Parts: sequence; structure tokens; C-alpha cells
Amino acid sequence: MSGIIRTQGAQVGFNDLKLPGMWSRKIGKDLYEIFIGPQHPGSGHMRIVIRIDGDVIVEADPDMGYVHRTMEKLSEVRTWIKGIPLFERMAIHDACNVTLPYVRAVEKLMDIEAPERAKYLRVLLCEINRIAAFLYGFGIFGVFLGHSTMYMWPFGDREVWVELAEWLTGARLTHSYPVFGGVRRDVPAGFTDALRKAIRYMRKRLEDYRKIFVDNPVIRARLEDVGVIPKNLAIELGITGPNLRASGVKYDVRLNHPYEVYDQLDFEIPVFQEGDAYARVWQRVEEIKQSLNILEQVADWLDKHPRTPILHDKFWKTAPPLYKKIFEETGRAKLGAVYAIMKVPAGKAYERAETARGEISYYVESNGGNKPYRIRIHSASARNALVYKYIVPGHRVMDLPAIYGSIDYFPPEADR
Amino acid sequence: MPAKPVNKQVPSKGGIFSKFKGNIEAIAIGVKFFFNPQRFTLIYPKEYIKLKEGYRGFIVLRKDKCINCGSCARICPAAAMRLIRLPFTDPKTGKTRMKLWPVINYNRCIFCGYCVDVCPTEALYHVPYHDVVYETMDIMDLDLEMFQKEPEWDTEKLGLPVKYVVDEKMGLIKVKIKEEGEKQ
Repeated sequence: MSGIIRTQGAQVGFNDLKLPGMWSRKIGKDLYEIFIGPQHPGSGHMRIVIRIDGDVIVEADPDMGYVHRTMEKLSEVRTWIKGIPLFERMAIHDACNVTLPYVRAVEKLMDIEAPERAKYLRVLLCEINRIAAFLYGFGIFGVFLGHSTMYMWPFGDREVWVELAEWLTGARLTHSYPVFGGVRRDVPAGFTDALRKAIRYMRKRLEDYRKIFVDNPVIRARLEDVGVIPKNLAIELGITGPNLRASGVKYDVRLNHPYEVYDQLDFEIPVFQEGDAYARVWQRVEEIKQSLNILEQVADWLDKHPRTPILHDKFWKTAPPLYKKIFEETGRAKLGAVYAIMKVPAGKAYERAETARGEISYYVESNGGNKPYRIRIHSASARNALVYKYIVPGHRVMDLPAIYGSIDYFPPEADR
Repeated sequence: MPAKPVNKQVPSKGGIFSKFKGNIEAIAIGVKFFFNPQRFTLIYPKEYIKLKEGYRGFIVLRKDKCINCGSCARICPAAAMRLIRLPFTDPKTGKTRMKLWPVINYNRCIFCGYCVDVCPTEALYHVPYHDVVYETMDIMDLDLEMFQKEPEWDTEKLGLPVKYVVDEKMGLIKVKIKEEGEKQ
């Protein structure tokens, strides 16, 4: 780092500003360029290059791509099922949501559909993941604003949901839960009771969050009218998820293109009109409340219905007696050997889902082989990252962390 | 009944009184948790979490059940499981021939558990722990002998078992698991 500064600094005056962990240089009269990131104190792996005049940002340039892992290309040299653990690495705390459209797209090509119980189980893990991801975002947001209590509390409460997900799937984060034609495990005994306890706890906890963070006058002063995304700009840039709905657009994949059993569940899609950082915080609080409503309904459904197969008949009909015995005893649906060598009929499929950060879409093309021909992913964070270029200029430097945190940008998901 | 969009509004800004109220509320809840904290920190080497059944931990092979089908190696997304060719003497006939046996490389394993789920005879199983230390990276690439043993779990010798239970008031609470007698 120092070497680069010395060589370039001779001409353009690097090192004029001494800031800890940041590069900066003078590029004009009263105009400085500052490189924030890619290792910055919040969630890392992304650089924003800002040009400041005094304290006011005149230009911002989001610089993505630090965690690019060539996922789309890698998936072309792996068999179909190996794509699931691979795509999970986009957002490991939102694992079920980001892999579900891939699984559904392949199911579409194979012309099968998961059994109803598996659909409810998928929704169950999706919503648990969604709450955990929102709480993760809150924690990062809190630490960006220097509110260390809001860093500790959501991360502690996220543990409740991570613990539940671990109980259900066997892993804290990378669940690899949905597979083609169903899911891998049924709910263990006593799970729904613990889930109901967690729901009641979280409802109470949101009130605590409101008192210490969301309705805190200090936080309100820092967030209100900061980083306003107007409705037309939000539509133009293709922003998705809570950020879009906080700008007053009624769009949610669960509402417009319902998948799994979302069309049978009774819940609301909250929409805020303001579009500023403060509305985005409230948006997420309301979304957590709705996710809790969904979970309650799913828990009721699971209690009412006895254990039935959670894999499609195509795979479960031919299962040997040992598989059925293990499923009866432990709820673990063992996979047939066909999963390892599966061939998917030729065709194209497009599927989407609503993740915690917005819409994710998969285009899957098969040429009839045991590997995908092409997979194209468009993730939510990649769309949301564009917004920095347009809304950050005009704000002061201290507003940048507030905007960055309120967008809930997650670099690994964007870079893929 | 599909989802329905509902317009919501952030609470109004309010005057000086609501600002005062907001500050008092924030301080009050801070004070409340200062005197009555919600803590569930794990004092790690002294305590360890006894994980639930079904946890996807380290993987062990039961060689007597293995039918050498190779499904585990074929499905492994990280290419951690591979097959090695070793001579095998059939106890019934006394004939010796080469067979393929799975071995695992823990440098690569991502603990997705596909191999355990795809095994047609349940020859593979998970042990419910993940905090195992290997001295070098070379010995993490297990041979067939090592793969049949459950990995040495030092944490169990050092600490006391605890478990986390979801609680309505505290979120999670740490419960100490006493000796075997109490569990049953």
C-alpha cells in the first residue's frame, strides 16, 4: 500500500489526508478522493470511492467484485445436486432462500413438484432464514452507526433462529436443506413448541428494539431524510426487496409470483412511502413481524398434519425399506443413489424467490446431461449496490455509513 | 388467501416532548438490561455444547456395512470423499480381491451430509461434534483405518456439557446437562 502511495503520490499528492485504513489523495482544489474499503469496519469486501468537497460527497463510485468466486462457471462442471451447496455460499445465513429457486427451476425441468409437507417445510426454513438475515443486517447497521447495543442484541437474538435452523437441518448456516423433489429432513419432535416460544420472544424483543434503536431520537436524527430513494429512481434502477418497498412500490415475489405455499398463507406485505434510511429500518421491523405470522401458520399446519413423505414419489416410491424405516424413526429422508448421477431433461427454466435482501432469479438451461449447460443468477444485492452511485452524492461523509447500513448490502451475494 | 400489500407509515416526528420521551425510553431499557442482563455466553473449554441428535458433524465409516458402491464419492460436492483400492478378504470364501473403499479428506469437507444421506446401507454416520483438532493438514486426509474411528474429542474430557433451550422470556437459556442419570 505504502509503495503505491509513494510512486503515485509524487504527482497527485497522495497522503495529503491521513486517515486510518483509507487511501486518499487530492484531485483538485478543495477536492479529495477517498477510498473506503474494501476492508472497512462494518461488513467488508466492497469499496466505495468517494470524492469530497469539504465534508460533502460530490461523487460516489461503488467498486464491487472483491469476493467473486465464478459460481456460474463452476456450476457448469458439477453435477446438478452439487449446485445446491455451491449457490448456498452466496449468502450462507440466508441459505434456503437463495438456493430454493435453483431447486425449483430444476424441478420444473424434471416436471415434478415437491409434496405439500415439503413445501411447508421449505417455507418454514425460508422464513427462519429471513428473520436471521434481517437481524444480521440490523447488527451491522447498529455497528455502522456506533450503536454497539444494537450490534449485540440482534446478533444474540439471531442465535435463537440459527439454533432452530440447526435443530431442523443439522447445520447452523449452510443447511443444504431443499433438494430436488422435496427436503431432506422432517421437523423433529418438539420443534414447533420451541418455534412458538421463539416467535413470542421475538415479538416482545422487537418492542425493545424500537425503544433503544428505532425510536431513539439520536438514531432518528441520523436517519430521517437521509439517502432518500425516490419511487421512480427505485423502479429505474431495478432495486428489489425491502429497499424497494420502503420507497412505496408494492412488489414482492411472494405477492406477485407466489411460490411454494405462500399463496395459502395469510400475511401482509408492508409498504412505506418515505424511501429514506429510517423507512428502510421500519420496513425490516415490519417484515420480521410478518415472517413471524407466517411461521405461526406453518407451525399450526405442521402440528395438524401427521408425518408424510417429504420427497417426490419419483424418488420415494423406489426407496428401499431401510430408507422408510429411517424416515419413520428420525425424520431423515435419505437420498437415492439417483441424485448423484441424475440427468435433467433438456430445456430452459426461470425461477425466482424473495430473499431477505430482495428478489433472486435463476435462469437454468439443460442440454439433457448430468451437468447444467448454463446457469445465470441475478441476485438482490447486485441490484441494490447500484443505488450508492445515485443517492450518496450530496450527503455528508457521516451519512455514508447510515446509507450503506440501511441498504443492507451483502457483498458475497452480489459478487457470486 | 394470498398476501396483501398494506401501506404503513413511520411514526410522526413529534415535538420536543416525544424526543424527550424517546430518550427516556432508550435510557430506561438500557438501565433495565444493565441490572438484568440476558447472557448466554459459553465458557468454551470449561463448557461445551452437547449438540442435538442429527447434527452434521464429523463422518465415520462402518466398514462392515459398506458395499463399495461409491455413491458417497460420486455425490460429494467438494470432492472430499474419494475411493481407494485395497485388497479385501471375504471371511466366508477366503478369497482376496481388490475393492474400492471411501476415505475422506477433512481439508475439503463442507459437512453437507450428502454422503451420509445417499449411503444405501447407512454405513456412514455423523458424530455430533465438530471441534476436533488435527496437528497437521496431512493427517486431515484420513486413511481407511482412521476413517473407521470416531475422531478424538478432547473437549468432552475438559469441559462440562451444556445445551441451549429456546425460552420465551430470555430467548435462549443455557442448561447444564448433569451426568448420564439425569438425562434419562
